[in-house]
Amino acid sequence: MNALDRALLVAARELAAERRRPDGFVAALTFTALLVLMESLAFGPGQARQPGVASALYWIAILFAATLVATRSFDRELEDDAIDAVLVLDGGREALYAGKVIAIAIVLAIVALAAAVLSLVLLDLGVALAGHLVLVGVLGILALPPVIVLVTLLALRVRARVALVPILSFPILMPQLVACTQGAAAALTGDASAALGWAGILAAFALVYGVLGLTIVPAAIE
Amino acid sequence: MRRVPENASLNDVTVVLDDRAILRGISLGLGPGLTLLRGPNGAGKTTLLRALAGLAPLARGRRSVSGGPPLYIGHRPMLLSGLTARENLAFLAAFRGLGAGDVAGALRAWGLAGEMDRPIERLSAGQRRRASLARIETEQMPLVLLDEPFADLDSDALVRLRAAINTALVRGQAVLMATHMHHELDQDATHRYVLDDGALREV
Repeated sequence: MNALDRALLVAARELAAERRRPDGFVAALTFTALLVLMESLAFGPGQARQPGVASALYWIAILFAATLVATRSFDRELEDDAIDAVLVLDGGREALYAGKVIAIAIVLAIVALAAAVLSLVLLDLGVALAGHLVLVGVLGILALPPVIVLVTLLALRVRARVALVPILSFPILMPQLVACTQGAAAALTGDASAALGWAGILAAFALVYGVLGLTIVPAAIE
Repeated sequence: MRRVPENASLNDVTVVLDDRAILRGISLGLGPGLTLLRGPNGAGKTTLLRALAGLAPLARGRRSVSGGPPLYIGHRPMLLSGLTARENLAFLAAFRGLGAGDVAGALRAWGLAGEMDRPIERLSAGQRRRASLARIETEQMPLVLLDEPFADLDSDALVRLRAAINTALVRGQAVLMATHMHHELDQDATHRYVLDDGALREV
């Protein structure tokens, strides 16, 4: 079994557990929907419909949702020391990291899709470049989990993990958040080259932090 | 005191946790057979098992395990909630490249025929412990590390555990068990150690 097979095995295990006990998914979906709704009301319909504001509100909600899904996922691992059964195996640490990134990205994609539909309907947004918006969305979803899973794993045995993960990961994720927001806003307003540029930056971030995570995690997990 | 290491060894290992030396210069070789590890609470038995499993960072010394990563079953069942007992064991066997094998057969043998497809969190503590111990049969690794395996087990499960360990010994596996209930398997043990205040001695 190669490294990719092991990562996919962990991802399948994670998704099966999440399907049967969708605590993280339900929490993220509810939270995201409420956040989009509340922020839209707080800004008022005029301001909230502006592409830059709508994109920022959406991606901030997705960022918090990603943290929620990751936190719940690792809570489940720690409940009965299930994580130790994986860590002891050859290639277990890398597979745990990569598998979690894949699974959390898939769960987050569903949450993001639901939140996108809600935002578009609620704010009656016009989308100039739908394909570009989907591209930015997909790459944004891929760019967030590598950092959040890495930080969660590094803070695994810390008691204040729930507070520490956002505190540590959000500053690292600021460039990705800016790229997501600007890229989505460009797609909404019809600026194709800007949307593609931001999408490229998101792809680079996903790759860099994915590789960094796979390099650091084996030595860093206790 | 020291044996020729075959399945696994620790060589002059020191483990420091929270600025306290839990294990101090431990050397231990494990060949086929049953080794019992005793010691008072807090002596470092779990840390020694975790050091052999590669789960405790070594401040000094060397760990060697042959024939693949050991099977380590700790205080808790180490099974993921949300999955069934069958899914958990199949995942762990598949990760080792063993295939699902006869996971269902092993769980049946441990009295979990009617429970193997229920989410693990809905089983009792004893049933979860049985499911985790069924890994002795589904994974069959050269080194088996068991931390207080008798906890939560009823008399039927104790008989089953004894049988599983005896089968493992016949297969030539090395079994290291940390337990306070050493009398349960004392007659089967090839070696007995006492760990006290981070130091190991054979008795």
